[in-house]
Amino acid sequence: MNVDKVVEEVKARLADVLLEAKVERKNYAHIKVKPEGLVRAAQLLKECGYSHPASVTGVDYPDRGEIEVIYHVESIEDKAIVALRTAVSRDNPSLPTLRDVWMGVHYHERETWEMLGVKFEGHPELKRFLLQEDWEEGVYPLRKEFKLKPES
Amino acid sequence: MPVRVAWGIQHPMSGHLTLYLDVDGDVVLNTEPDVGYTHRGLEKIAEYRTYLQYVPIIERACDFDSSNFALGYVRAVEALMGVEAPERAKYLRVIAAELSRIMSHLYAQALLSMTGGFETMTVWSANDRELILDLLEMLTGARVTHTYIVPGGVRWDLPKGFKERAFEVLNYLERRIWDYYKMLFQNRTFQDRTMGVGVLSKKEAVELGVTGPSLRASGVDFDVRRDDPYEAYDKLDFDVIVEKDGDSYTRALVRFYEIAQSIRIIKQALKDIPEGPIRVKVPPTLPKGEVYTRVETGRGELGIYLVGAGTNKPYRLKISAPSFRNLAGLVYLCRDVPMGDIPVIYYSFDILLLDVDR
Repeated sequence: MNVDKVVEEVKARLADVLLEAKVERKNYAHIKVKPEGLVRAAQLLKECGYSHPASVTGVDYPDRGEIEVIYHVESIEDKAIVALRTAVSRDNPSLPTLRDVWMGVHYHERETWEMLGVKFEGHPELKRFLLQEDWEEGVYPLRKEFKLKPES
Repeated sequence: MPVRVAWGIQHPMSGHLTLYLDVDGDVVLNTEPDVGYTHRGLEKIAEYRTYLQYVPIIERACDFDSSNFALGYVRAVEALMGVEAPERAKYLRVIAAELSRIMSHLYAQALLSMTGGFETMTVWSANDRELILDLLEMLTGARVTHTYIVPGGVRWDLPKGFKERAFEVLNYLERRIWDYYKMLFQNRTFQDRTMGVGVLSKKEAVELGVTGPSLRASGVDFDVRRDDPYEAYDKLDFDVIVEKDGDSYTRALVRFYEIAQSIRIIKQALKDIPEGPIRVKVPPTLPKGEVYTRVETGRGELGIYLVGAGTNKPYRLKISAPSFRNLAGLVYLCRDVPMGDIPVIYYSFDILLLDVDR
């Protein structure tokens, strides 16, 4: 299903949790939902043929008090990408895992947890991945309060 | 009673990776990867460097395919700024990117042959890779980390005598790869070692997010160069190699055929390259906004998600690296296989730990 149809479908079936849905450029759409509608949105996207997960990104916005999590998913048939996004509060970020919908997001979610502290409920293996074993608990390097020390 | 064995980090074949294997006799029941030995925090460093300073840094995310990685990042920066490189620069970028792809594929072939004990093939691939490195040195001034592709274009034009030398090398390589075919792919021992080992079905490959040659080896007809064309790829004629079997042999074979296609692309680009400027001016700051771009690197699709904040530094840069995605496929396949197959499956995916860890 091409992105225009996906946006229409999402608007029709997810009206209660949808915050924003639009086609940004050719073959690229972005859909923003409330955290509670994330799993339903993911299932709907998979039904529409978006079954190839490409990336999971967390972005920290301290001025808004939010962490935004973005799933980029591709459709092989339509050569298109949909960015499924949601925002959670910085104090206690928690989202349901989408691992059961797209198997491939397993390590991506693990990395997002480790780097930004977003807890994915139901994820079977939420533990250190890239950082060293003695890394301090509760310090998340990709959050903005984590500053790099100047080298000189 | 299963025993846990650590394959790596000191294993001669493993690279910067530990696979914890639960082994019963000779059969691996379950695998758990331990990565991060080369984690350098490249995504965090991006927030502390100007977008131009970051070009040489992103190449370190994948030393063996550096121009393709630089291209992915530079395309994201340009898309955010709304700048387009001049026509001649687009062709030069394609030439650098395809040479980089050949360099990466030959290296993968060398390593895979080494796991099976085909040392002749390892040396042949490494030797011919040297010719490509010399070409890249002539074009960009560096053998491995080129920093040739920059926002707005490329750093310099074709050097004197490059075209002639490139045709010499490519004509040689075009004949030479059929020696590889006879030596490796028609070799009964290599076939026994790799055929039917680590079979990934089409559906699994898609859902695991596997990408690049490994995805195409499982019968998925998808290549960013053709399906979401960038730079000059829409003006060049090439085939996307798709095979059905999805085993280790097929993954190596897809990469082998892609070398031939890359040679074809470079030859066309050298013939058709238009005259004109090679670089345009770009604004000193990244505008507010965000962009997601993808390019096809030697190992698969590289996705760059870039957020700008109106300063000269990126607000957030996400590198969705191809080897990171292929790691899911590797772990999925390292179950219920003999332990001796692990190195073959591992090298058939061409996973580079530098770009898993970033």
